[in-house]
Amino acid sequence: MFSFTKEQKILEIGNIKIGGQPGCLPTLLFGGLFFKGEPDFKYAKIQIENMMNLSKQTGNPAIPDFFIKKEEYVEKIIDFIDEILPINNPFSVDIIEPSIKIKTLEYIDEKKLLSRTIFNSIHIGIKEEERKALQNHTPEMAIIVAFNPKDKSPDGKIEILQNGANLTDKGLLAISKEIGIKKLLIDTAAMAPGDNSGASIAAIPVIKEEYGLPTGCAIHNVVEKSNWLNNFKDARKTVDVSSNINIPLFGGDYAIMGPIENSDLVFPIIAWQDIMISEYTQEYFGIEPITTHPRRIFF
Amino acid sequence: MVEVETTVIGSYPVEIDNNELMDSYFNNLNISWDKYIKSAVSDMIDAGIKYISDGQTRDPFVNIFTRKLKGCRIRDRTEVIDKIEYVSPITIEDQKYVKTLISNDIKLIGVITGPYTLTKSSNDLFYKDEKELAFDFAKALKQEAKHLEEYVDLISIDEPFFSMKVPDYGKELIKKLIQGLKCPTRLHVCGDVSKVISEILDIPVDILSHEFKASPKLFDSFKQYKLNKNICLGSVRSDNSKVESVSEIIEHINKGIDVFGDKISQIAPDCGQRMLPQESALQKLKNLVKAGEEIYGR
Repeated sequence: MFSFTKEQKILEIGNIKIGGQPGCLPTLLFGGLFFKGEPDFKYAKIQIENMMNLSKQTGNPAIPDFFIKKEEYVEKIIDFIDEILPINNPFSVDIIEPSIKIKTLEYIDEKKLLSRTIFNSIHIGIKEEERKALQNHTPEMAIIVAFNPKDKSPDGKIEILQNGANLTDKGLLAISKEIGIKKLLIDTAAMAPGDNSGASIAAIPVIKEEYGLPTGCAIHNVVEKSNWLNNFKDARKTVDVSSNINIPLFGGDYAIMGPIENSDLVFPIIAWQDIMISEYTQEYFGIEPITTHPRRIFF
Repeated sequence: MVEVETTVIGSYPVEIDNNELMDSYFNNLNISWDKYIKSAVSDMIDAGIKYISDGQTRDPFVNIFTRKLKGCRIRDRTEVIDKIEYVSPITIEDQKYVKTLISNDIKLIGVITGPYTLTKSSNDLFYKDEKELAFDFAKALKQEAKHLEEYVDLISIDEPFFSMKVPDYGKELIKKLIQGLKCPTRLHVCGDVSKVISEILDIPVDILSHEFKASPKLFDSFKQYKLNKNICLGSVRSDNSKVESVSEIIEHINKGIDVFGDKISQIAPDCGQRMLPQESALQKLKNLVKAGEEIYGR
């Protein structure tokens, strides 16, 4: 448990704050809605309400992360978000296909939801059409995935943010700023087991100390791909949810915790970890937890 | 007629597909660079080049090495933050892969960015002593060279910074890197070397490689010295995408023959071709090969 020498930015989107020194704000949790096939909105609504309820109980802010895999689902999913999420509640859209990214941005703009949108994500695959779409329909916040195929170490992740590792014309931070996105979160790009997966955790304090930006990752993905855990079926879920505590423990600000169905287990364990951190960082560094911090709620 | 071989200096242009790399990331697949190496090698072979490289497609020539050496980290430039040490082979796996792509009549160059160039290209935050840093780079690169010579037919040391100045320890530095190697060595110094020719001639390598096409005045400069090494004659420009005609290249090589005679053992582009459009780089190599055949036969 530690504090950074570099000033740590606190960013706001809707009713949520993220970033700062460890122990100040509670860890933000992204719960994934993956929708296999046609989106089941009735089920999604139940899951979102459950996550929001857990968020209220623990104080850990929650953001539903919507995976959009097909163009035909874009309007349905955005309409659903507009209909069921409270008006000041942010959300993120997690899209791989560039053409779907563009259509989604256009429709979010049409629905006047850009001020609540976290764009997940900007990475080395960004093309000119996507840059233009982001310039024309600029989301309030974006996640930059610091994946560097040439170097998966923390230094490699900084390199991709700083200068693009000769894969993009400039660093991903400069690209994002040029587009006009003012609020940026850094994702340290969790790799598959055996491929320097630990570097995504080690990179969190390195990147926060370098840039002072809110940083986290989807460490859950490493557990999901750890096939050896199939030999320990009873433990798999425990390992999955508890992997997320690595993030606040290494000074991180948010966890992309995997499927939203994990909320019941992840929220309490992260709240517990946040309390541990806060107890020490207040005592040693004088960092005051905010009033909605789990330590304030439970003690 | 002496056998003169067509060759390259090192790098070759390839188009990296970032979206494919991201797909590998999202799907937890291994990141492979083989298709880019294969693309570069295929072009060199298609053009008829006899002495090829791996294309140095992974990175600019400094980063290829500093990325893998302990003590370096890459920011806007390479930063030296600790003692330089060799950790593990840097380019060897790529050479092994190239060997699987080529037939026995094609030879392979192992390219090493020289210790002085690594030193001058880095931001030294640790040594505060240029010479000490350069010699530690040389010590590390020597280990790479020892591995490399098991797979390649020639080791080429790329030292562009020598064109501005060969330090008083330059000869000793390169000697440290190549001493004990069994395979032939080449020193490539691009740029205008007219003011450092005597120092370069003193460096104990087998072949000297220079940018004679972009700097034809070097012909006159070299005339003033007694040549004790073979020459790799830069014969097409690497800094200009305009493709030289076969006749233009023949005329240029003949000027080289007037100066160097049978000391010319290789003809090549002036420098690495990384910054050229791929079509231009390929056509330059094809015309180089045709010009070589016209002069030296097949």
